[in-house]
Amino acid sequence: MVPLKLIWRNLLRHKLRVLLTAGSLTVAFFLLCVLQALVVSLDQGVKNASKKRLVVQSAVSLFVNLPISYQGKIETVEGVDETMKMTWFGGYYREPANMFAQFAIDADRMETIYSNVELIEGSWDEFKNTRMSCLVGKETANKYGWSVGDRVPIVGMIYPRLDGSEWQFDIAGIYDAGAEASIDDLTMYFHWDYLEEAMEAGATTGADGIGVYSVLLSDGYSQAGVGAEIDSLFENGPQRVQSTPEGEFNAQFVSMVGNVPFFVGTIGMGVLIAILLATLNTMLMSGREQTRDVGVLKALGFDGSAAFWLLLSQSLILCGLGAGTGIFLALGIEGPLQAVLGSNFPGLQINREVLTPAIILAICVALFAGLAPALRARRLTVIEALREEV
Amino acid sequence: MALVPLSYNLRSLRVRKSSTLLTIISVGATVAIFAGVLSLQQGFETLFSDSGRADVSVFLRPGAVSEGESGIPPEKCEIIKKSLPEVQVVDGMPLASAESFLAVRRRKLDGGETNVPIRGVEQMTFTIREGEVALSEGRAFAPGSDEVIVGEKLVGRIQGCALGETIWLNTVPFKVVGVFSHDGPFASEIWCDIRRMSDALDRPWYSRVVAVLNPDADINALKERMSEHKEIPAKVMDERTYYEDQTQALSGVLRGLGTFLAVIMGMAAAFTATNTMLAALSTRSHEIGILLSVGFRPTAIFLSFLFEAVLLSLAGGLVGVLVAFAINGAETGTTNFRTFTEIAFAFRVTPTVLSQAVFFSLLLGLLGGAWPAWRASRMKPVEALRRT
Amino acid sequence: MQESQHGVELIRVSREYTRGGEGVKVFDDVDLSVKPGAFCAMMGPSGSGKSTLLNLVGGLDRPDSGDVIVGDTRLSELGESDLAEWRSENVGFVFQGFNLVPVLTAFENVELPLLLTGLSKAERKEHAMHALELVGMGDRAKHRPGQLSGGQEQRVAIARAIASDPGVILADEPTGDLDFESACQVLDLLGRLHTELGKTILMVTHDPRAAERAERVIHLDKGRINESPAAPDDGFREVKPKEGEGA
Repeated sequence: MVPLKLIWRNLLRHKLRVLLTAGSLTVAFFLLCVLQALVVSLDQGVKNASKKRLVVQSAVSLFVNLPISYQGKIETVEGVDETMKMTWFGGYYREPANMFAQFAIDADRMETIYSNVELIEGSWDEFKNTRMSCLVGKETANKYGWSVGDRVPIVGMIYPRLDGSEWQFDIAGIYDAGAEASIDDLTMYFHWDYLEEAMEAGATTGADGIGVYSVLLSDGYSQAGVGAEIDSLFENGPQRVQSTPEGEFNAQFVSMVGNVPFFVGTIGMGVLIAILLATLNTMLMSGREQTRDVGVLKALGFDGSAAFWLLLSQSLILCGLGAGTGIFLALGIEGPLQAVLGSNFPGLQINREVLTPAIILAICVALFAGLAPALRARRLTVIEALREEV
Repeated sequence: MALVPLSYNLRSLRVRKSSTLLTIISVGATVAIFAGVLSLQQGFETLFSDSGRADVSVFLRPGAVSEGESGIPPEKCEIIKKSLPEVQVVDGMPLASAESFLAVRRRKLDGGETNVPIRGVEQMTFTIREGEVALSEGRAFAPGSDEVIVGEKLVGRIQGCALGETIWLNTVPFKVVGVFSHDGPFASEIWCDIRRMSDALDRPWYSRVVAVLNPDADINALKERMSEHKEIPAKVMDERTYYEDQTQALSGVLRGLGTFLAVIMGMAAAFTATNTMLAALSTRSHEIGILLSVGFRPTAIFLSFLFEAVLLSLAGGLVGVLVAFAINGAETGTTNFRTFTEIAFAFRVTPTVLSQAVFFSLLLGLLGGAWPAWRASRMKPVEALRRT
Repeated sequence: MQESQHGVELIRVSREYTRGGEGVKVFDDVDLSVKPGAFCAMMGPSGSGKSTLLNLVGGLDRPDSGDVIVGDTRLSELGESDLAEWRSENVGFVFQGFNLVPVLTAFENVELPLLLTGLSKAERKEHAMHALELVGMGDRAKHRPGQLSGGQEQRVAIARAIASDPGVILADEPTGDLDFESACQVLDLLGRLHTELGKTILMVTHDPRAAERAERVIHLDKGRINESPAAPDDGFREVKPKEGEGA
């Protein structure tokens, strides 16, 4: 009813102001999408994690290892298909800033337990058969320009070599975690036997025992059930254990990095308040400037709802374009985001769960900012409108 | 130079009430959140810095960044305690104590899990901490017993941390016999006998030694000596420095967060201020024309507009600070990155926070008002008067 | 465009405003009768209610008591949105400040009232261009108000006022912001609307020369209506202040 031309051109009357508002909307919604993606990935990391794998860890502390003898005992529990040692190595490549995850594992079992992992270079056999070898995730391999056959030096922090030298590993394969949600493409896996050998030879020192055991369940068994079995097996020690579904196990590390929900919530709220007020201010100003136009329209015979929609549409268009651009940009940055944050936030995606709240929010902002001026326009009488000095 | 009277600014603000209000709210929200995050950081930092003692030294394994990753065999701890001349001796006993530290999993009363520090201490720790640590309920644990005392901040938050309850360390039950208070981080810890902790957790090595040094001791020399020591190599620092190290990471993150938020929200707030001032500009252009033709200098116009913007932003800053004050002293907690343990503390609106908040709102006003003020001052009287 | 059937009748109309807490009676029980097709000028000092009278006739304001009848329609019988619709069909406004929409071209401004009719795009274009040519602004159809002079703007405003062929034209100080030459052009136009198109025109003005162009001059003062003593007698009914006789 109200000509689109009028809506569009009135919106653009003050280009700088509209540009700034749209710009802040873009920045705000881009941020909100990224933040929401972080939160969603944490949730999904837990939800989508394998239902067939458990992590058996110390019930006492993250920093307490489990005895080696536990592995055999765990394997006797009904429902356990395969187990694998996993000990956090915690070293870095050349400089402390180049820290990334390394695990000492049962090399012969990884393929079974993490069956969805693919080797894009090298072979499983090579990895299994060579004690000094390792598998490296494709992201880390790319970052440092490593390929199969390279010998890479790693400085051990938790297991320092007593002669001050670096640990040497030969890359037997480069992997892509693919569908495996709980593994990222940044980690190095090597032989636990290699570590144990060095400890027995006195070449290194460090805590005894195994960090955690990764357990693959047989079909038809639940994580909760088997987990409880395992826990009760070691109730009387020497070390009590806590068996957790893999997704939850991973999630606990993220919350240690910081209270992510808190940070995300604060940033999100701050950004939202700022953008609401800024957009409202713009729409109010714009609305006031159009008072005369509203008067003319009503004098000509357009009714209150025409005036209402004249203003509300502008808010919807402004927010649609501004927020839309921000959301679009967030989609575009999905790739780089995964590369940078993927290790802490596995399965990071800009997907429907991220976009839907963002779009709803954009509409809410549009309504919040546009309602006041729209209602004012609707109520305005011709006499008031044409008399007012803007 | 004659300045434009204040009444012009006040009138201008009154005329456009909703824009004025919006700008104040916008700046206020920005400052409130900025001050809030800073208060969080200040609360966290002062918890440690206020309680760090310059006369207490901490001995860790060389290369360890915190006691969480430090391990020293008990025998070596003994040697450190007894063989160093810098350590103060009172009544024949060196004021030095070995301690063990582990972040243990505990369930929270409101659901979920967290990591709580357990500190195994020798009796000498109580002597060293006399005046700092005091029992508020119950009694201290008996040496060599399976008893613990819990810090005040754990009561009501962590499962099992109340007088009379039982805490399981691995397979061994420990009874909570007392609650203690401390102005610093110890209030979020559980304390027990160091040997019993070792046994229960099967951790033979201790984490650190704390010692009160003689007043004239040269800690730097001690540091040097200990780093090269053949028998008992150790990393030495005074407690104050130790705490600084501990808090750096999180402090840095919180300050970063606060700054980041301030910038994003600040831009929106400054932009709102700019809009408001631009509207003021167009409404008052006639008035400006008159002022200019009467003889006021462009600089006076510039200052008048800038002043109005700053008035708005300072008003917003005041609102923001008042909101921040509302949370001053509110209890909260966060994770200490170094030890992965949860620390409870209160928001502290310190003078630092206040001054930064005020400065920030001032900055917003200047940034937001600069351009409109400049445009106002560049108006030509003829032009301005023509616009009716 | 047909002969107007729209006469205007005010019967015992009262209108009061509150100013600074006090009630100010703009009209108190006044009558007015304007024949269909008449060109009537209204003069008076400021505050005498000239604009209020126009607003009442145009349905932009409602009297506190009394009736306003335009053509066959008793305005008090219409609800707000009906009034708006009625206005779009029956009244054309010409304002002192022109009040063209600055972001629309002259053509688009004239087309505005036509959007409320059921006409197709092509028909609207035809009517709008016709109106523009009538006022001599056909070649400036694509210009925005900012690119036109005051006189040109007012002519576009007049085109807008007649675009949907209303019976009544209400002009509030149409020459107030114009220079002499433009003012004459506008008054000529208004005159032609009266003589050639038979529209009923009520024009508020404080310019006696503008008032001369009208057939009839009404004076308003302190809410009372007086006929100009030198008004030609052509059968219009006399207006009696404070007398309430129906039309």
